[in-house]
Amino acid sequence: MLKIKNVGKSYGQFQVLQNIDLEVADGEFLAIMGPSGSGKSTLINILGLLDQDYTGEYLLNNKSYKETSDNLLSRIRGDQLGFVFQNFKLLTTYSVYENIEVPLIYSKNEQHHKRERVEDVIEKVGLNGKEKHRPAELSGGQQQRVAIARAIVNQPKLIIADEPTGALDSKTSKEIMDIFTKLNQDGTTIIMVTHDEEVAEYAMRTVYIRDGKLYHDAKDVFKND
Amino acid sequence: MIDKLLIAFKSIGKNKNRNFLTMLGIIIGIACVIAILAVGDGFTKTMTKGMGTHNDSGRVTISFETSSYDDSTSGFTQNDVSSIESLSGVDHVKLDSSSQEASAKVQYKTKHETTSLNKAPKHLNLYKGNDTTIYSDDSSNVFISHGLANRLFKGGNALNRAMIIDGNVFIVRGIYKISDFNYRPDIYVSKTVFKQLFAGQITKDLARIYVQPGVNKKSVGKRAVKQMKKFGEDKKMGSYSVSNPDQMSKTFTKMMNYITYFVALVAGISLLIAGIGVMNVMYITVSERRKEIGIRRAFGATSNDIRSQFLIESVVLCVIGGLVGIICGYGLVAIINAFLPFKAIVTVYSLLLSISVSTAVGLIFGFIPSNKAAQSPLVGLLKEE
Repeated sequence: MLKIKNVGKSYGQFQVLQNIDLEVADGEFLAIMGPSGSGKSTLINILGLLDQDYTGEYLLNNKSYKETSDNLLSRIRGDQLGFVFQNFKLLTTYSVYENIEVPLIYSKNEQHHKRERVEDVIEKVGLNGKEKHRPAELSGGQQQRVAIARAIVNQPKLIIADEPTGALDSKTSKEIMDIFTKLNQDGTTIIMVTHDEEVAEYAMRTVYIRDGKLYHDAKDVFKND
Repeated sequence: MIDKLLIAFKSIGKNKNRNFLTMLGIIIGIACVIAILAVGDGFTKTMTKGMGTHNDSGRVTISFETSSYDDSTSGFTQNDVSSIESLSGVDHVKLDSSSQEASAKVQYKTKHETTSLNKAPKHLNLYKGNDTTIYSDDSSNVFISHGLANRLFKGGNALNRAMIIDGNVFIVRGIYKISDFNYRPDIYVSKTVFKQLFAGQITKDLARIYVQPGVNKKSVGKRAVKQMKKFGEDKKMGSYSVSNPDQMSKTFTKMMNYITYFVALVAGISLLIAGIGVMNVMYITVSERRKEIGIRRAFGATSNDIRSQFLIESVVLCVIGGLVGIICGYGLVAIINAFLPFKAIVTVYSLLLSISVSTAVGLIFGFIPSNKAAQSPLVGLLKEE
């Protein structure tokens, strides 16, 4: 699915990511763990083609998009990737239906079946009957379901989730993780950032980031302490 | 496109008060444009109607201007007509008069004055009196102006009183008012009476020369003037010249151009101020919606999508303002029409101009904020809460 080699990123003198090597296979469910400020979000911004300002090599489906135009990158994000953010990032003045519809507005493929697509994912995440509600009228768990529905409405191959359960209690977190597990079983590759070990256990594999460096085994992270 | 329009309406509807205040500048600007153009168009139409159509194809007119005020009978005679008709290229000549009015001495008891007189029109709105015209057999009936009635009858009731016009007795059957923009003589008599008693006064001071096909009418006109200067019977009492009706319309066009420049200036300034308001509100909108821009971009919107989204919003805002402005403009025109002596008219041209101008204001003043929205770095946008 994706491969990064020797990827680095710095803000001025401050090195956020150093020599990151990572490979994620099709259909894999990967968890990235690490403390705050370790560079997790910076890494998934690069993986999600949201940030092109890095060194090293990143191949998504064996293609490098380093020199790709901004407009084409947007299209690739829209068609191949889905994002779930920690604080849901829903449009507060729009209804559930309108929020989920956003990726379809910009997709060239789904113009004729918008309604069916939206209704299908609403069913998948269990939000039936909530179509006309505003996000403020929903619980945290329901809002994250809306965010997941929005991420999968374009049927992306890869979902990138940044702390998807960060703002939720453990019961709701489990419900959300069950949805992710189901999506992964249906063939979607998932990369999830989390600092919660219980949540990370849903993933097939976990990698660790600390001070901008990536470790493939938890023991390696602390061996220098 | 439809999605973006819906988003635009939603976003504008979300901040109704703020957007209404922004639109106010455009509403006022467009309403003024509509009203001023309507007055201009109405004025042009009235003037053009008043001037009549100058159907001067195949003919040239020469006029006689008397040099003495006392001698009102000088002009072209039948001998002059024969003299001009003898010129080569001339088909025939018709005499006409630049003024159709006669003047007459009027008297009531000891008061008397000299005033203008003409045959009654087919329909006249009277201020006092019952009829609307004087029929040919009503040989002793006259209509007089409100002004003359006041002067002659000293404010007393003039209706059905007898007065003397050039030694003949007439009865006042109606009184009419004269507005500033609509000239009328002081007295109207019946057509028959006018022909019998007053038509002879009207000087034939215009000779309309109909030229033969293919003949240069300008050179015919010049030769006719030369001929009249040599052989005209009244040549000593005035001067002859080729009359040029184009001159009048040229002066009029020039005046209308000045009005148009003035309108453009007023409308330009008000729309510039309105445009700055639009730009300001679009800047505010863009900075308020950074999170939304980030989300849309993450889910596939290109920077062009974002730019066009905000441009559409800016244009929709201005076009709504323009449409409300047009409605207000209609209202303004209706109010103005209650006070104007002529009718101001809203033309399709001014409607199209208003819509185009409001669209242009939206595009021009929305461009910089929209561009700012499109070029914001994505990672920064997604950090917004």
